[in-house]
Amino acid sequence: MALLADFIQNTLDGLTAGASYALLALGFTLIFGVLRRANLSYGPAILFGAYCATWISASFQVGLLVLFVITVGGTVLAGAYVERLCFAPHRRGSAIAAMVASFALWMQFEELATLALPRHLYGFPALYEGGPLIFGPFFLRVESVVMLLTGIAICAALWAILYRSRFGTAVRAVIDDPAAAELSGINVPRVFIQVFALASAIGGLTGFLIVSSQEQVTPMLGMWSTLKGMLAMMLGGLGSLPGAVAGGLALGLLEAHSQWYLGPQVRDLLAYLLLFVLLALRAPWMSTRSAY
Amino acid sequence: MDEHAIGVLTNIALFSFVALSAYLLLLAGELSFGQQAFFGVGAYAAGIATAMLGLPLPLAVLIAMVCGAAAAVLVGLPTLRLRGLYFAMATLAAAEMLRILFELFRWQVEIDGEAVGPDGTQGFRGIRWIFERGVEPLHFLVIAWLLLGVVVVMLMLVERSKLGAAIRAIGEDPPLAGAVGVDVGRLKLGVAAAAGALAALGGALFAHHNTYIEPRNFDIMLGVHSLAYALIGGLGTALGPLLGVALDIGLLESTRIFEGYRMIVFGGLVAVLLVWRPRGLLDERVVHWLRTRFS
Repeated sequence: MALLADFIQNTLDGLTAGASYALLALGFTLIFGVLRRANLSYGPAILFGAYCATWISASFQVGLLVLFVITVGGTVLAGAYVERLCFAPHRRGSAIAAMVASFALWMQFEELATLALPRHLYGFPALYEGGPLIFGPFFLRVESVVMLLTGIAICAALWAILYRSRFGTAVRAVIDDPAAAELSGINVPRVFIQVFALASAIGGLTGFLIVSSQEQVTPMLGMWSTLKGMLAMMLGGLGSLPGAVAGGLALGLLEAHSQWYLGPQVRDLLAYLLLFVLLALRAPWMSTRSAY
Repeated sequence: MDEHAIGVLTNIALFSFVALSAYLLLLAGELSFGQQAFFGVGAYAAGIATAMLGLPLPLAVLIAMVCGAAAAVLVGLPTLRLRGLYFAMATLAAAEMLRILFELFRWQVEIDGEAVGPDGTQGFRGIRWIFERGVEPLHFLVIAWLLLGVVVVMLMLVERSKLGAAIRAIGEDPPLAGAVGVDVGRLKLGVAAAAGALAALGGALFAHHNTYIEPRNFDIMLGVHSLAYALIGGLGTALGPLLGVALDIGLLESTRIFEGYRMIVFGGLVAVLLVWRPRGLLDERVVHWLRTRFS
């Protein structure tokens, strides 16, 4: 019984972490699908948004809603800067140059964050002050419920945007074939900017949920978000939206269970091992066209 | 020369090896996020060889290079058929696995009443071969730059040969290279092995220069930095990656003009530079122009 209870509790925890990974992977995969380029600065842009909010909340007495708006706004602003400097100039050019440029801006965000707030760790107002929900032997944090529900809501909203609007049709056309989309009159550079803004907004929202449920921020948030987002995106297959969700949840579950039974180092080892093996075996859902 | 200058110049040489390793793979058309792993393999292998097994440094460096090449072949065999981001992520996964294995790696022997050897996340202390032998920092600097010079000259000779043309051909267009008779798979594996050995050589020297290594030294930051060095320096010549390292470590880190703002300046500089020159300062066109001008 105890074993089963552990298993269920770990599954609940894994789904919660998985929901945040899935959201990060969705942002990544949106950008990747449209631009065919990996944005290494995706996580650091979230770091920028979260640090803006932390800085404001350390100086002024403001509510959670204001902090939420600042986090999302800061992330979108940072995303716009990344798009203008790293991706717009290399739209037809080198994918490697775009990726390395996005890494260069990552360094900027990280140093900016530590200059503004030099301590290693800062508190962040809690998303929910009360205790966890208790069902018999199981605990479920209210923050986890919010994370899961937000994940589902974002997926539904994204589906509606991408499959039920003119903008979504344009985005899917660009994903399928940028040249043909351009020839049929779609303003491809504008779609790039819009998708970047959309992905950054999702990133900002995810970042806000993560830091307000952990009640703290560290400069590691940038690298953490980029690594987890890329890992989840790759596990589910590059550029696929349902794949991003599946990859995120799978990663969350794998981590929660392996951490419980084998410890945190083996947890990370197993996640990378799974990715390596799936890539080496060229899992069928991963073998799309050549891509950076 | 003062101590600070010697330290900076030594660091430029050490990190040039791993930048050259990223450069070699870029020439062959592969983007690796994982060269830091082979730098780490070299550092651990050479450290174990001198501090624990009592071997001389030159032999330890050779062992490190063999280990680095072997590790690169092991990673390359199942992954080199992947392209672009798939290969980059596979190398990142491999490198992170290795870093975690370094964190779990504990093997110590007692030497003069002191436990010496890798101690998990605590790192590996007491790699003191060059200090025990009385090698001056200036001498070590000369040794590092001589080795780097040999490597650069060898790479330049290779690039002028048929082999160099074949490597650039598989980077530009693998099917076409295959069609004109290049064995793409084998050549890529060879390039990966050479790149692994180069990174390991840098790592072996790094371990002995620092006397202390820890798994954190070999995280993804080093890997992506070496890629950035290779790309901003330029993909036209083996001197490019050296220029990239010199710009960052030599100009920004050590001059202290931008103290506290170094990464903001460097990051902006790299992004703007890549808009203007997507294949780096010393790209193929510049190198060709220089060559026709001065020969």
